[in-house]
This record gives sequence, C-alpha cells and structure tokens, in this order.
Amino acid sequence: MATLNNTLALPFTGIFISLAVFLLGQWLFKITKGFFLFQPLFFGMVTGIILLFIWGKIGGMSTAYVYRHYYKPGGDIIFWFLNPATIAFAIPLFKRNQVLKKYWFDILISLVISSVIALFIILGASKLVGLSYQSAAAMLPQAATTAIAMPITDAIGGNAAVTAMACILKAVILYALADAFIKLFRLQGSKIGLGLGLGTGGTVGSAKALQFGELEGAMASVCVVIIGIVVDLVVIPFAQIFM
Amino acid sequence: MTPKGKKEKKAPILVQMGIFAGVLWVASIISSVLPSNFIVPTPVIGLVLLYLLLTLKIVKVEWVEDFGIFMISLIGFLFVPSGIQIANDLRILREEGLQIVLVIIIATVTLLVVTAYVTRFVIAIHHRINQKHGQITRGGVDDGNIE
Repeated sequence: MATLNNTLALPFTGIFISLAVFLLGQWLFKITKGFFLFQPLFFGMVTGIILLFIWGKIGGMSTAYVYRHYYKPGGDIIFWFLNPATIAFAIPLFKRNQVLKKYWFDILISLVISSVIALFIILGASKLVGLSYQSAAAMLPQAATTAIAMPITDAIGGNAAVTAMACILKAVILYALADAFIKLFRLQGSKIGLGLGLGTGGTVGSAKALQFGELEGAMASVCVVIIGIVVDLVVIPFAQIFM
Repeated sequence: MTPKGKKEKKAPILVQMGIFAGVLWVASIISSVLPSNFIVPTPVIGLVLLYLLLTLKIVKVEWVEDFGIFMISLIGFLFVPSGIQIANDLRILREEGLQIVLVIIIATVTLLVVTAYVTRFVIAIHHRINQKHGQITRGGVDDGNIE
C-alpha cells in the first residue's frame, strides 16, 4: 500500500486527471452543442476539484492535502507549458503587424486608460462586497492572460489561484453573455473598440470577436497580448498606491 | 508576409522547440535581474522578445510557427491545473466565494464596456486632432465605420 501511495504521488496522476476531466468536458460540450457550463476548461476545473474533494473524503484527508500530494506534481508539469504557449502569441501578433502599425497608438492609449478606469471600478466593487486583501488583489490583474496574471497577483500579495479562477470564469461569462452585453451596452458603434473590449476576455473573447468581423477579430487577438503588458505596467503601481 | 518565389522552409519541430526554449531561458534571466520593484513575469518578456525577433526578421516565422500554433491550440487544456489550484485553499471559496464571483462578473462587464467606449473616444479625439492639423490621414485612424 505504501508503494501504491508513492506511485499515486508521481506526476502521472495529475496529468491523467487533467486530461480526463478536460476531455470529458470537451465531449459534453460537443454533444450538448455548446452548453455554456460544459465549456471544457470550466467543466474540467469544477470536476477536478470535486474529484479531489471526494478522494479526500474517502481517504480521510483534506482536499488541500490530496491536491498537494497527488494532483500538483502532474499539474505543475502541464502548468509549466503555459510559458511556451503564452509567448507563442507573439506569432499571431506578428501576423497582425499591418493592423498594429496602423493603430498601435490608439490601441496602447485606449488600453492604458481603460485599465486604469477598470481597476478603480474593480477595486471599488471588491471593497463594497468586503473582499479580503488577498482576494481583492487577485481581482486586479484578471484582464491579462492567466500565465501573466498569476505572477502579477503573487507580486502584489494576492492569491494567484483566485486570479486563475477569475480568468476561467470570465471566459464562461463572456461565452454565455457577450452578445447580450454588446446589445445592452450598444458596443457595436466601434469595431476597434468592440474588438479590444472582447480581447480583455482572453482567447474565448477573441473567438467571439472574430464572429463580428475580421477587424474585430484582429483587434481582439492584438489586445490579448498588449493587455498583458499593460496590466503588468499598470497593476503593480496601482496596487502599491491604492491598496 | 507574402511568399517570395520559393517556398519558405519550415524548421524541424525540434529546432522550433529549441528557439522557444532559448527565448524562455533568456526571458527568465532578464526577469530575474530586473529590480524587485519592477516585476515583469518571464512570459511577458518572452512574448516581447519573440515578437521583436520576428519583427526584426532575425527569426523567420516559418521557424517557430508550427510549434507555436500547436501550443496555442492547447491553451484551454493548459489552464486546467491553474483552475484546480483553488482546491489548495477551498476555505477562501467557503468564506467569500460568492463575493468573488460577483466581483468577477462586475470586472468582466466593466473591462468589456469601458474598453469599448474608451477606445471609441480615443479614436474620435485622435481623428479630430489629425483633422485640425489638416493631415491626410491615409486611413490612419478611421474605424471602418461611417459615423
């Protein structure tokens, strides 16, 4: 039993669980023709947590222990590959160089101003509902993609796991409700604006933007990259001054 | 990039991985030597480095494209462990999960709406400045819209 226990603590377990829950989500997403709660990543996250929770209950261990002891070794290996995947976004950005050269000034200024405004609103909302410092700080970098947002959260003393959850939930919300938001707030007045706005929702937002048109899609995929850099430059000083 | 005459040669996948590994390695070193009050995560530096290498034509896009596009296609899956990480601290969800979700919803809407409107505003102002200076904008800041 001791050897089985050691074996289960090898990276194989975490890697297999991650793939299993994600693939199950993909399959459910497909057969339900895109039901928003079966978005593979969100489904994988929830199912994975439930799985570790049940494992803990059966084995008489805390969920946190099961996570650290059995899931994390494999999870960390997959997580590392976010590094090359994130820098790979330089390729689509490079391919958009023409649009970027034409609009870089407007994109940069717009994203810096909107991040600062959004940060005040997010911090205000966090204070209003009474979030702890750790969670409130985790809310600030969520416009960036996960691999960039998490180290920034760490840097300002927040809980990076909460940031990761925020990035995932944001994608679910946008997938389900982007059309309604766009109609409600009349966002179609500016193609560049709509594209950049959807780009704050990461890859799911970009996919949505592409449905509206070529320029919107290009702007969103540019935004996914630029917003990561803007968040890095804006959030850290913002947290130092206002938190 | 338009294909020029001969087909550009794709680099073997191992070479592509080598370029990624090299960029990440250099990025991690740069990230660690930056002053502690100027934190820039490794992926941000790597992203900028790779973009510069491509734009300055030091690295051809064919040398990194296949592996890069493959990695991007995996990104949803690669996020799974970061999502499950909250299992390490379920207490935080029990204590303030509802409030966190509420703020995430507010943040999502805020980012979408504020960015869309600020951009529209910035472009309109930029457009007006250009007109005042009597420049021919060469489609510089037109928004693809008839306003």
